[in-house]
Amino acid sequence: MNPVSNDQLMRYLDGELPRDEHQNVEDELARSTELQREAALYRSMKEDLQGLPLRGAPAGRSVWDAVNRKIARPFGWLLLIVGTVVWLAYGSYVYATSSVDPLEKVATGGVVIGILLLLTSVIWERYRESLTDPYKDVRR
Amino acid sequence: MQPEVERELIRKCKGGDTRFYEPLVRAYEPTGLRLALGIMGNLEDAMDALQEAFVKAYQSLGRFDLSRPFGPWFFQILRNQCRDKLRSRRARFKVEALDARPASRPASSGTSPERLREKAEARELLWRGLERIGDDHREILVLKELQGFRYSEIAAILGIPEGTVASRLYHARRALKEALDEMGAEYP
Repeated sequence: MNPVSNDQLMRYLDGELPRDEHQNVEDELARSTELQREAALYRSMKEDLQGLPLRGAPAGRSVWDAVNRKIARPFGWLLLIVGTVVWLAYGSYVYATSSVDPLEKVATGGVVIGILLLLTSVIWERYRESLTDPYKDVRR
Repeated sequence: MQPEVERELIRKCKGGDTRFYEPLVRAYEPTGLRLALGIMGNLEDAMDALQEAFVKAYQSLGRFDLSRPFGPWFFQILRNQCRDKLRSRRARFKVEALDARPASRPASSGTSPERLREKAEARELLWRGLERIGDDHREILVLKELQGFRYSEIAAILGIPEGTVASRLYHARRALKEALDEMGAEYP
């Protein structure tokens, strides 16, 4: 049985063994052919793994643009929503306090509210469809 | 990237200015892609995981401790992202990440075409072996051999005690050897 543990052998091969233990492993390696064989196997595996040529990203392709879009988008939405709410509130106030005929106000208000309701329902419908869309992960 | 520069960039990002995130993304993208490739096994899924990890890291910057380096923290997020993708079944480790082009390093004058072919076959075999071992084993081998991280860094990324790294590596290497044996390969 080897007095060198598996963990020690790994640390030795990975250059992570303290100096005092290093000599101990080297002494044992000089004595044990079984340990030499095991060390040679893992050393060879290390070299081959380190030599694996992995594909890199195609030239000029970076994830930054996509990342930037995703992290900047919520801020854009927030500004859009806040701005729209402020304008709607201000417009409604100006419209409500103006001297226009009440019948005209009701008719115009009905048209505007109708358009907003239709728009909201279409957006909501699309959103719900997107949650259950089986093809949403299919790459275009 | 120098630690002081990195800290300053993160401080600016925490203030909400996304422009200062770009140098961080560009600095960690190559290493991150290599890590994701090793875990995912194919470029498309690796790029997706990398992109999502950068977004998550940005959204979590508020919790980031500025006294610590960004790298291990980000790689931990990336590793979790890769694992989530693999678990979700939308992605699977595929043997597509090996570069089939000839090595960029010039071959020594004594390297015969036969020897080069053997080397290429051995690499392909090794990669197929990696496909067979579990995600945990593959992950630690990628961190150690493909990324060259030290034990302390691996421990930080995986969130395990440093003393456990050697043992995990031993089991991963044994598993790879057994996978190669099962494939009928004479290794080494």
